[in-house]
Amino acid sequence: MPRVILVEDEPLVAMMMEDLLLDLGCEIAGSFGSLGAAMAWLGSFDGGLDGALLDVNLGGGETVFPLAEALRARGVPFAFATGYGVLPSDAYPETPLIHKPVDEGQLLPVVQAFAAAA
Amino acid sequence: MLEAVAQDELAELDPQDPVFTLVEMIEALSAAHTVEEIAAVVRGFARRVAGADGVTFVLRDGDHCLYLDEDAIAPLWKGRRFPLETCISGWAMLNGRTAVIPDIRSDPRIPQDVYAATFVRSLVMTPVRPKDPIAAIGAYWARRHTPSQEELARLQVMARATATALVNAEIHASLSETLERRQFLLRELDHRCKNTLAAIQAIADQTLRRAPSPSHFVEAFNGRIGALSRAHELLTKEAWGNAALADVVGQALTPFCGVGGLQIAVSGPRVALAPETAVAMHMTVHELAVNATKYGALSVEGGRLDVSWHVEGARGGPQMLEFRWLEGGGPPVKQPRARGFGSRLIEQGVAKELGGEGKILFEPEGVQFRLRAPLSGRISLA
Repeated sequence: MPRVILVEDEPLVAMMMEDLLLDLGCEIAGSFGSLGAAMAWLGSFDGGLDGALLDVNLGGGETVFPLAEALRARGVPFAFATGYGVLPSDAYPETPLIHKPVDEGQLLPVVQAFAAAA
Repeated sequence: MLEAVAQDELAELDPQDPVFTLVEMIEALSAAHTVEEIAAVVRGFARRVAGADGVTFVLRDGDHCLYLDEDAIAPLWKGRRFPLETCISGWAMLNGRTAVIPDIRSDPRIPQDVYAATFVRSLVMTPVRPKDPIAAIGAYWARRHTPSQEELARLQVMARATATALVNAEIHASLSETLERRQFLLRELDHRCKNTLAAIQAIADQTLRRAPSPSHFVEAFNGRIGALSRAHELLTKEAWGNAALADVVGQALTPFCGVGGLQIAVSGPRVALAPETAVAMHMTVHELAVNATKYGALSVEGGRLDVSWHVEGARGGPQMLEFRWLEGGGPPVKQPRARGFGSRLIEQGVAKELGGEGKILFEPEGVQFRLRAPLSGRISLA
């Protein structure tokens, strides 16, 4: 059962994603609505994390990339979710990109990859 | 036919003739779209049009003149800035008149120290748009020189054409800005549509998961889509800027105020919500009101609802919003058997968005909801 975190600023979408992740057998270690909240949590990170699902644009011009960097430094795999079609950065050519609206079909391979790496 | 005649007339002009150069200059000015392009045209043609040893193009910049560009046998004042009162271009712009100075050494308007290091002995300075000067064009000679009527006329035509070009550049800039703004709005609209569709998808998913029957689903789903739609209506009124918390609460409660004998009080200081936060808050109040209408204070005559908020902490320091929903006078409240999407949205929705804490309490005398969240860019005192 992969242990994952979710970062998504739209509360309705966050609730749906949480349920989808639970449906796919994930354990949710944390669900955050802002970069600040997620970074604060990562500050007391205990190492038991298998993956992260990251909404790219967090409102007010804020992006999730600083958190992605911090996760990369800790060797935690992650995937991006965006409604914009393309990623506003070319620093992550290998990172899976999920297109909103999100569905189980898109999430499944990402969760499987998290589980395989766990 | 007319064009052919015009071309013949032009062909008769000597390319060395300053009038020919003036025509070329006007053509180039009409194709210039920025102040920099206009300055480049003036630099490229004005000296030949004026038959002078040097020219400058001076822009008015508040109460200063800026020597933007020049073309001369030796450097003049390119890039320098002088108060309007202390230089001759300033005099020409302040008075809206052409200054003709055959010998600078005998004219009191000339700051001799500024000219001492230059080749200039005589000059003509013409304001661009004399009624409300925005610039000036200067022509300089290394010897004493009294310009002919024809030379003065050419300089003034040049100034008029430059004035028109500067006005056109302004129009061009505002058109470009309008087009850019339109592109921005289209991208923004696309983004908002996608956000809204994602929210509807989430509402459908969450409502379906917990619906005991298709008719329950339809009722709850339609209610939530209606709430989302009213939240958007309010935000469109505010041009998708910040919305007032009181307006959001009022808008969300409107569909539930039709029952007679209800006492609803809403009070609190002016607090502004960012658009996304306003949508989340609206959905939260909607869920609370649906619950109150089905089981709580809004389900009976004589029920009371008190919605209030205040901000704790002094300005400049950390400040917290404390938001309260208090029901009273309704039937005795029972703990729900299971927490549905509504409770989850109420407790987590806005709280998570704001990095705060939400708590719904099923007290026997009435449902209470308390939200504590730090003020931020998303929620602020208006």
